[in-house]
Amino acid sequence: MATTKGTKSTKVGTRVRGGEVRVDLETLKKTVDEGLGEARTAESADALEAVRITYLGRKGLMPQVMKELKSVAPEERAEVGRLANSFKNELAALLESRRGELNGAHSASDEAPVFDFTLPGQGSRRGTRHPISMVIEEAVAIFGRMGFTVAEGPDVETPYHNFDALNTAAHHPARDRQDTFWLDDGNLLRTQTSPVQIRVMESRQPPVRIVTPGRCYRRDTTDATHSANFHQIEGLYVDHDVSLADLKGALAYFAHEMMGPDVAVRFRPHFFPFTEPSVECDFSCHVCGGAGCRVCKGSGWIEIAGAGMVDPRVFERVGYDPESTTGYAFGMGIERIAMIRYGIPDIRLLYENDMRFLRQFS
Amino acid sequence: MKLPLSWLREYVAVEAPAEEIAERLTFSGTEVEGIEHLGAGCEDIIVGEIRTVTAHPKADRLRLCRVFNGTDEVPVVCGADNVEVGAKAAFAPLGATLPDGMTIKQAKLRGEISQGMLCAEDELGLSSDHGGIMLLPPETVAGTPLLEVLGGVETVLELEVTWNRSDCLSVIGMAREVAALYGVELKVPQPVLAESGKPVAEWTRVEVADAADCPRYTARVLTGAVLKPSPLWMRRRLSCCGVRPINNVVDITNYVMLECGQPLHAFDFAMLTDSRIVVRRAATGERMATLDDEERELTSEMLVIADAERPVAVAGIMGGAGSEIGDSTQTVLLESATFDPALTHRASVALGLSTDASHRFERTVDRSTTEWASRRAAVLMSELADAAVAPGMIDVQAEPETAAPIACRLARLRAILGVPLEHSEVLRILTALQIPAIDAGDDVIHVVPPSFRPDLKIEADLIEEVIRVHGLDELPAADPIGRIVVDADDARPRAVAACRDHLVGLGLSEIMNYSFLSSRALDRFGREGVAQRVELLDPVSADHGVMRDSLIPQMAESLGRNVTHQELDAACFEIGRVFFRENGAIGEEDRLAIGIMGRAAGSSTGGAPVTPEATFLRLKGVLEELARVQNVRDVAWTPGDDPAFETGWCVALSIDGVVVGRAGLLTADIRHNWRIQNPVALMELKLDSIISQLHDTTSFTAIPVYPSVARDLAVIVDEAVQHGDILRVINSVSPEELTDIGLFDIFRSKEMGNRRKSMAYTLTYRSAERTLTDEETNSQHAAIMDRLREELGAEIKER
Ligand SMILES: [Zn+2]
Repeated sequence: MATTKGTKSTKVGTRVRGGEVRVDLETLKKTVDEGLGEARTAESADALEAVRITYLGRKGLMPQVMKELKSVAPEERAEVGRLANSFKNELAALLESRRGELNGAHSASDEAPVFDFTLPGQGSRRGTRHPISMVIEEAVAIFGRMGFTVAEGPDVETPYHNFDALNTAAHHPARDRQDTFWLDDGNLLRTQTSPVQIRVMESRQPPVRIVTPGRCYRRDTTDATHSANFHQIEGLYVDHDVSLADLKGALAYFAHEMMGPDVAVRFRPHFFPFTEPSVECDFSCHVCGGAGCRVCKGSGWIEIAGAGMVDPRVFERVGYDPESTTGYAFGMGIERIAMIRYGIPDIRLLYENDMRFLRQFS
Repeated sequence: MKLPLSWLREYVAVEAPAEEIAERLTFSGTEVEGIEHLGAGCEDIIVGEIRTVTAHPKADRLRLCRVFNGTDEVPVVCGADNVEVGAKAAFAPLGATLPDGMTIKQAKLRGEISQGMLCAEDELGLSSDHGGIMLLPPETVAGTPLLEVLGGVETVLELEVTWNRSDCLSVIGMAREVAALYGVELKVPQPVLAESGKPVAEWTRVEVADAADCPRYTARVLTGAVLKPSPLWMRRRLSCCGVRPINNVVDITNYVMLECGQPLHAFDFAMLTDSRIVVRRAATGERMATLDDEERELTSEMLVIADAERPVAVAGIMGGAGSEIGDSTQTVLLESATFDPALTHRASVALGLSTDASHRFERTVDRSTTEWASRRAAVLMSELADAAVAPGMIDVQAEPETAAPIACRLARLRAILGVPLEHSEVLRILTALQIPAIDAGDDVIHVVPPSFRPDLKIEADLIEEVIRVHGLDELPAADPIGRIVVDADDARPRAVAACRDHLVGLGLSEIMNYSFLSSRALDRFGREGVAQRVELLDPVSADHGVMRDSLIPQMAESLGRNVTHQELDAACFEIGRVFFRENGAIGEEDRLAIGIMGRAAGSSTGGAPVTPEATFLRLKGVLEELARVQNVRDVAWTPGDDPAFETGWCVALSIDGVVVGRAGLLTADIRHNWRIQNPVALMELKLDSIISQLHDTTSFTAIPVYPSVARDLAVIVDEAVQHGDILRVINSVSPEELTDIGLFDIFRSKEMGNRRKSMAYTLTYRSAERTLTDEETNSQHAAIMDRLREELGAEIKER
């Protein structure tokens, strides 16, 4: 290799003043040939490794070429870069296959142990949430964003809290033995979670802003849509300036959050003993968008909640001033919402605890 | 309630289509649940005249008729009992289509040709009556289309009248609603009587024992009544309303009830002992046969209409069989009265007898309609039964209560509704509803509730009237305002929600069971709590007869049912309430139950059987981890005793010395009920014991600076020595530098000898002040080993 004064040839070009290397194509081509030759003729794994370090190692020749690329004559620069890159790939592949050869008599492709990425993963799996508690939790969270907190009460209630305090007439059929489960101590299984509202109002002054999820009981014969044991969530907001329009706003927000942003609400007048005015609240069908389908029985609307402005006689019962106090209350069936939301056709599925059913929810 | 539109339109001139009226009613508080078109599909049906009737040669129950269809006589085979020569009946000729879509074709019935069909009302979709073919008045002409005879297709609205609106349980009441909604006039007919003969007071007397039970009782006497079927138009209207026509006199009482809401009763006057009426409580044990031929035992909580000797009707509910209107009836006592709603309701429930009359009385019948109804019925009886009406009406009534006037303040109304309604609109609505409203100035309207609206008692009731007629669709939805109630405390429900999340994170699936089950299902798990069980007074079925006192039985059953669907692996939890008697009262408590069966989801696919140990320890691991994340330390597991669990596999769980639950392996006997092969580990504890630490009390400890030293040792001990014993001994030495004790292997071998086992531990030593030297660690480790040898007779192998 030619050497001129003040310069020294290297494997990739010519070292000039101060150790800087000027890469040139011709030298590089030669080095490439040498490198591939060394790789082909290496006789041990160690020798192969030495080849790799010489050419591809962190301080090897090829990184050096790439570093000095800017010093290459402009007309050669692209070619040098291309050659260096293709050499790197070619040498790496060659080293790999040679390593395989040296490791045994077989070729790399049918010998290297291949990890089976398709094996099932391991480790404990998360369990599933029951659709009823999922709906309760979501409803609680939605009303929680409006400042409602959860209140609880007993399943076994006094007739006073379940009926009298809620302004239910002494001969209202809801009290009948054919509708309500009575117990031998004169108490009953609550038919709604409204008695919790009474208990909270008895224990504190307004403002009251609660939701009361819980289990209720009615003497229904079980079929696809009725269960003697079911869940409700009720809400109560009592303050000094609450209106029916506020109720509609709160239920509209709930409808959007629970069933989807395009779901609308509408009110129909109704009768409940403890609210006046009373309304039933329909949600527009989230399946058909109101056009009518099987879920909404063609009407475009689904009856979801009963609601209204708290009857002043209820406020009197709990010792609030019926004149200065106003408030709204609402209630809805959890199973019904779960069935509509998840398309569950039969309420009994919710209480059969079939893993094939439960696994669908998480 | 069923409302035929043609009847409604007699009182209110609204020509709007049924669907529109239905919509208006639904959005003003009376939901229309359905619209029926009775007679639709009967276009091909005609009047047939039965010319001859002969026996079918091969079938006892069939008859051969010749039916004249207006042009020809055709052979018809018929199975009904009421075919008679000369009768006119609904007839479907060959080629006719019935409302259900069936087309009449020539047929051979047991060898006899039939060219058409004589139809029953239910086959024509006109009612549910299948008592025989539909007979038509004798004057109808064969071949006339049936719909022409019936007056066309009748549209019937099916209404859901709310409990408070007794005034809507009649055609006139609904006409009043429709008139208000459409702003048109309500036209109620004023029946005019022609009376004759001796006055009613000479016929009968009425005595009311207690006006509170019966605020008003009126009686009329009608003589010379001719019993026969009612005219077709009346029978059709009754049928449309779901009331079966009987005879003209009874039909008229039902017709007038449907029309104005006042139930009426007609007695056969000849059957009233001493010709008089006594309204009184029944004597306890008094008996009577009601119209439905049931012998009923009465109590003093029931009001009866009696004659001089015995009850002839249960007031407001049902008449007695003894005074029933029949073919021999000539003189009729017509009752129009009102009864106490609560009393009527209690009697109806006690007798298990609900009728159209009791349905109305228990919701309040308007006293001011009582006389109108009596007069209306008397006029109809004179017209349709040729009866003569005795002059006068006996009318026993207490002083009517005057309804208190209600002030409706517009400012209040607007505040409650959140709608700026105009003064004039409020007045318009109240007036349209026939609620007298007086403008008292200062934006206050005074209202005197009319007698037909006993539900209007306070201002809020009027506010509802206004908004339901004004329409709720214009009600704005105000953006919700988040309001924080600062002292509201819901830490417990939030802790329960967190507990649920933890359990799901630990791989458990949440289940839910009913709060009631059968005694038998509870018995299977032990009977010691039988006396404390809470039974339902009126369970829907014996399968749901008793409140659960434990979550374990249903947890086991849920796992078992899954096994029957080849779901052999399950890990579940339930958070639910149990019920029990405690100090004479019924108590309730939230519990957490966990059930583990088979392999964990996501575990390796080894084929080894699932051992009782592994199952039990999985359960324990779940509880330990739950306790850890809930900040509940030191759940103690001590041997327990429970008939549901295998001996030796049952523990009591306690926290701070208080028993809070139990755990164990389900007995093989119980597992066998569902053929569960794998061991089943179950646990139940008081929910509040595991969520008692609501506030996080974690405080930071400095992270160790100096390295730790780990030393293994194998402790060879008798089988009787437990892990807990070894821990206790190690902890009794417990040098400050011992920071962790980890069990990593249990091993048994022949060399160790029978009844011996090796338990291998890693002990970790670390000092907070310095790097421990080998010598220090060795001496501490040696002290521990010595103590294990001394106290447990352990043989120790260092590793
Ligand atoms: Zn739909």
